[in-house]
Amino acid sequence: MMPSDLSVSVPPSVFTSSVSNSSAPLSVPLSLSKPALESFDLRKSYGRGKRRFEAVQGVSLSISAGEVLAFLGPNGAGKTTTIKMIAGLVRPDAGWVKIAGADPHRQPRALTGVGAVLEGNRNLYWRLTPMENLEYFGVLRQMRRRLARSRGEKLLAEFGLSDKRNIPVQKLSRGMQQKIAIAVALIHEPSLLLLDEPTLGLDVESGETVKRIVRQVANLGCAILLTTHQLNVAEELSDRVAVIRAGKIVAEKPTQALIQQFSNGAAYHIEYEGVLSEEAAGAIAQLGATVKAQKIHYNPLSQGNAQSDKLASSATLYKILNLLAPLPLLSVRQDRADLTEVFLQLTQTPSPDSHGSDTLHD
Amino acid sequence: MIDLLIGEFKRTWIQTRRYPAEVIGGIVILTSVFYGIFVSSQYMAGPTTNFGNRLDAIVVGYVIWTLVLYIVNDIANNLQLEAQTGTLEQVFLSPFGAPRVFLARAVASLTLRLMLIMIVMVIIMFITGSQLAFPVLLLLPLATLLLSAYGLAFFIGSFALVLKKVQQVLGLFQFVLLFLLLAPTETWVGGAKLAAYMMPIVPSIGLLRDLMARNEGLDWGVWAIALANGLFYFTLGTLVFRWAEGKAKRQGSLGGY
Repeated sequence: MMPSDLSVSVPPSVFTSSVSNSSAPLSVPLSLSKPALESFDLRKSYGRGKRRFEAVQGVSLSISAGEVLAFLGPNGAGKTTTIKMIAGLVRPDAGWVKIAGADPHRQPRALTGVGAVLEGNRNLYWRLTPMENLEYFGVLRQMRRRLARSRGEKLLAEFGLSDKRNIPVQKLSRGMQQKIAIAVALIHEPSLLLLDEPTLGLDVESGETVKRIVRQVANLGCAILLTTHQLNVAEELSDRVAVIRAGKIVAEKPTQALIQQFSNGAAYHIEYEGVLSEEAAGAIAQLGATVKAQKIHYNPLSQGNAQSDKLASSATLYKILNLLAPLPLLSVRQDRADLTEVFLQLTQTPSPDSHGSDTLHD
Repeated sequence: MIDLLIGEFKRTWIQTRRYPAEVIGGIVILTSVFYGIFVSSQYMAGPTTNFGNRLDAIVVGYVIWTLVLYIVNDIANNLQLEAQTGTLEQVFLSPFGAPRVFLARAVASLTLRLMLIMIVMVIIMFITGSQLAFPVLLLLPLATLLLSAYGLAFFIGSFALVLKKVQQVLGLFQFVLLFLLLAPTETWVGGAKLAAYMMPIVPSIGLLRDLMARNEGLDWGVWAIALANGLFYFTLGTLVFRWAEGKAKRQGSLGGY
């Protein structure tokens, strides 16, 4: 589960040191700054005539500095096309993209602040070493070579790859290549980071390293658009979730709010100490709960409450708690949906076309 | 831009140095093919024949053919290779813009290629006894030749960007180039000469043969034509490349292969 406090302390690292050296006003409250990325009504079709396929149908996204947006959807839903439209690699049929106020399709300077890992480890020159890749791509992003080298050294240390700095990339493991691809995307301290499946194929330790770095980078003000099929990673890292299905956004909300929304109506579990009187146990059973070995289970949905009828289920819960008084309570908790359940509900229900504009937004 | 150029030099040099077998193989094959042509010609002409400056003209034509072939294939091959390895989209994410990056790459790889060509040329001259002249003025037609060749390279690269598979076209194209570069077009007259002036690279190669094989001076009038020819094909190539970049982005096929 995602930590509720996003202001995690950042250990001394390439990211913290870069901030102290930078003149960028990163101490400005992030929420007040203008969006790092805005896209409006992006549309893209492929093919002609009967073979015409609308890959993206009116996608609008906005990410503020320091925010992580998990962009989720099944295969073929339009995620990659959307990301490539944002990066200026696919030209939209309609709609626009602004990166820090500039259009990447018309103003190449918009790309100065963009870092991207588009298809896993397929972003590197395999005959070059990690250090050589970092230096080259730094220069390609208009950095001075010396600066690219020094930042490359720090990034390799951050990713735990300093000892591999002089080994050609093709001789490294897939996980190491993936980490180098991410380091390359960070070489020029981008203000917008596009990550397509950054933890795919990584072992547990490497996955944790990548997650830690994503958090650190976001904490320093970088806006991150993250696609992944590993929904636990999305839940852990993201501030907000956008779910795309058949080219349309079907839900876009803060991650925890979305999960909470899908958790409404879920069952409550109460644990208590002591002996419950038969009279109280009977009354609790009358309310629709089950009592068993100092544990009470109450599922509002089984009582016919609508999913959104929070008040009714809460009222019943309080009645149960009153009946338990004065016995000591050990715990009261509600089952909570996770992002996987939310995702499956959003993507496996009938097509959004049949619902018209029935989408979940703030 | 200087950093980009140095970065490209370094990248190309490291990639070449790390696989020396490819370079040695290239030298051996290029030299062997020419030696094959030389021995065959000698067999047809008879053992006592002295080729004179015609041999030198053929050496110049062959060396320039290998150079132009490399240049023309370079951008298209790199585009296809990088689409496969996944670095192509990263290149297009550069704020420099793709044409500038590819031009820097072309200059870097050309420099290294010229070194290779020089080695091949020295070996060929040693084997055949050819005696080529290297006046400083040859840099002028060489420059116009490179302009024209890179125009063609961007043109072919555009097809690689949009159509992806251009290997067969490149295969056929090398024979067209062989004809253009080995035929003594500078000795043609009338309409044929005019047509030769309009063909890419051809005016420059005639001048190079005059300078290097025939020990003649530079014909400034023809060089002006060669310059116009080079500028025209270079501009055309880069414009078509920009169009192809837009087309590939509209098709969503930039990183495809």
